[in-house]
Amino acid sequence: MTETRTIDRNLIADIEQFYYREARLLDDRKFQQWQGLLAEDIRYRVPCRHSPLLDPKKRDSEAFLNVEQELSQGLEAPYRDEDYLMLSIRVMRSFKQNSWSDNPLTRTRRFVSNVEVLPGAQADLYKVFNNVMISYSRHQQDNHLFTVQRRDLLRIVEGDFRIAGREVIIDWNVVTGPSLGIFF
Amino acid sequence: MTDLLKELVSEDGCYVHRRVFADEQLYQLEKRHIFSRNWLYIAHESQLREPGDFVSTYMGETPVIVARGDDDAVHVSINSCTHRGVPVCRADQGKAKRFVCPYHAWMFSVDGRLLGVPQETKVCSKVDKASLGLKKVPRVDSYNGLIFACLDPDVKPLSDFLGDMRWYLDCFFDRFENGVEVIGAPHKWSIKANWKLPVENQLGDVGHAPFLHGSLMQGTEAVDIIKEHGHNVVPRPGHGVAVRLLPKGTPPETVMWGSDGIAVIDPEVASYLREEHIKVEARLGPVRARLSPLCYSIYPNFSFLWANLTIRQAHPKGPGEMEYWSWFVVDKGAPDSIKEKLRSNYTFFFGPGGVLEQEDAEAWSQQYLGSTIDYADDRTYYYGLGIDDPKNHPELPGDVGSCYDEHYAREFYLRWQRELIAGEDQ
Repeated sequence: MTETRTIDRNLIADIEQFYYREARLLDDRKFQQWQGLLAEDIRYRVPCRHSPLLDPKKRDSEAFLNVEQELSQGLEAPYRDEDYLMLSIRVMRSFKQNSWSDNPLTRTRRFVSNVEVLPGAQADLYKVFNNVMISYSRHQQDNHLFTVQRRDLLRIVEGDFRIAGREVIIDWNVVTGPSLGIFF
Repeated sequence: MTDLLKELVSEDGCYVHRRVFADEQLYQLEKRHIFSRNWLYIAHESQLREPGDFVSTYMGETPVIVARGDDDAVHVSINSCTHRGVPVCRADQGKAKRFVCPYHAWMFSVDGRLLGVPQETKVCSKVDKASLGLKKVPRVDSYNGLIFACLDPDVKPLSDFLGDMRWYLDCFFDRFENGVEVIGAPHKWSIKANWKLPVENQLGDVGHAPFLHGSLMQGTEAVDIIKEHGHNVVPRPGHGVAVRLLPKGTPPETVMWGSDGIAVIDPEVASYLREEHIKVEARLGPVRARLSPLCYSIYPNFSFLWANLTIRQAHPKGPGEMEYWSWFVVDKGAPDSIKEKLRSNYTFFFGPGGVLEQEDAEAWSQQYLGSTIDYADDRTYYYGLGIDDPKNHPELPGDVGSCYDEHYAREFYLRWQRELIAGEDQ
């Protein structure tokens, strides 16, 4: 409880509005404007999520079911581990006619919820958990549903937010969507 | 059936019928005559360092546990309890002392021996445990850390199966003093496509790169280098590699990597690549010191992307679906910071999140749909590029064609056809 005391309701409302704007930009395919929401030192990660062997020594404690043990750690390969340059290449690519995984156009609708704001390591930084559900539709009826948790670092820059870090926790073992290359 | 099979691929391999990629009956034959009779990649030795280390995988559609036993040997067992068929191992990988079936708690050693039956205490006649171990896969062998297994006890040795492919495999898998390691659990990607399509792509289809991947690769130096120095090699029918053989005097980091990696813009990576490359000539000889491979496939369903440091396997799940598994593989002796940087050259471009492979998966899915058009099955796919070209090379072993010679695919589908016919004739 001590941590949440420093977060006021206006800040939470501002962050929620920021996420809705971000979701609208992505669903409207305004990826260049979306890129403007990223801090240039951003680290954007999508860990791999595997089924580990559960550790019997941890049974009866919450550590037994800890999500972190399912996620790629250290040098283990995540699905994605990208910086600003790589994200810029993805944005640039989106606007080419021969981006064949996005032509015909993909239709997306993002729903952001469960916004939980915590203070970050510095005064201008917030750690924000939030959930995103993405309806993703390709071709005529190739429809998919992505559900993810985002673990964000938001930085206040000139009165607005910039995404300084994003970790995307996916809820699949086998990826059943056509690509994890979308902007979560 | 044999007459039908003879029609599917023309004698010269130039024409392949669409239903090869879509027919349910053919898929059943593939499981019986290809996946049950060929050596299949199952794991890398770096994933099984100590007794008890295991990974779960598939041989065709057969689920298997690959584990290092207390005898230090690698054992491959069918992941299905001999009591009621429930899988005894439910994790992707890990380290275990034993596997216990969740249904009635029959207990097995990691190498598949039946150790205990809890219900046994209340019945008169004891269970013959020696005959009730997990079904074992009869043949297991490895080459430079790559472990293969075969469901057929009479299969020819792995070294015969690989043939000259070994010369090319050594180029990466025997390149480094400390060997290579596979790090992390597989990335698993369900793609609505036939399992042969990614394999064909990585046998040597470099011709699609500037077009399917045109948004990133059109007009790049990488494409020019492939055109100028690229070759498609068939070391043994069914296997294929695409390589660049660069001229003497090419800068070491270019040979080591190719110009397709964004990690190469990092000075630390460039210096690592240079230092590593200097050792290659002494280890692998002067020709392979100038060899910059692109992609490999080993029949029937294993591939390796050299520049992007990823091995991959197309697990079949029916004619129109596969699980495409991929792993990061790297020089074991490289510093952690280098491993991390090289890793992004896999994940940014390939795997489920890869900016290039999302386009490949799109092409494979669409090719599968095209292959289901019964009415057009008389309009066969054309694999004839380079059919009349010479196939010999003064420095490279195997049949060597130009970079756009499709002999890799002709030989793959001819072998596929031969194996189905031989299987049906038996």
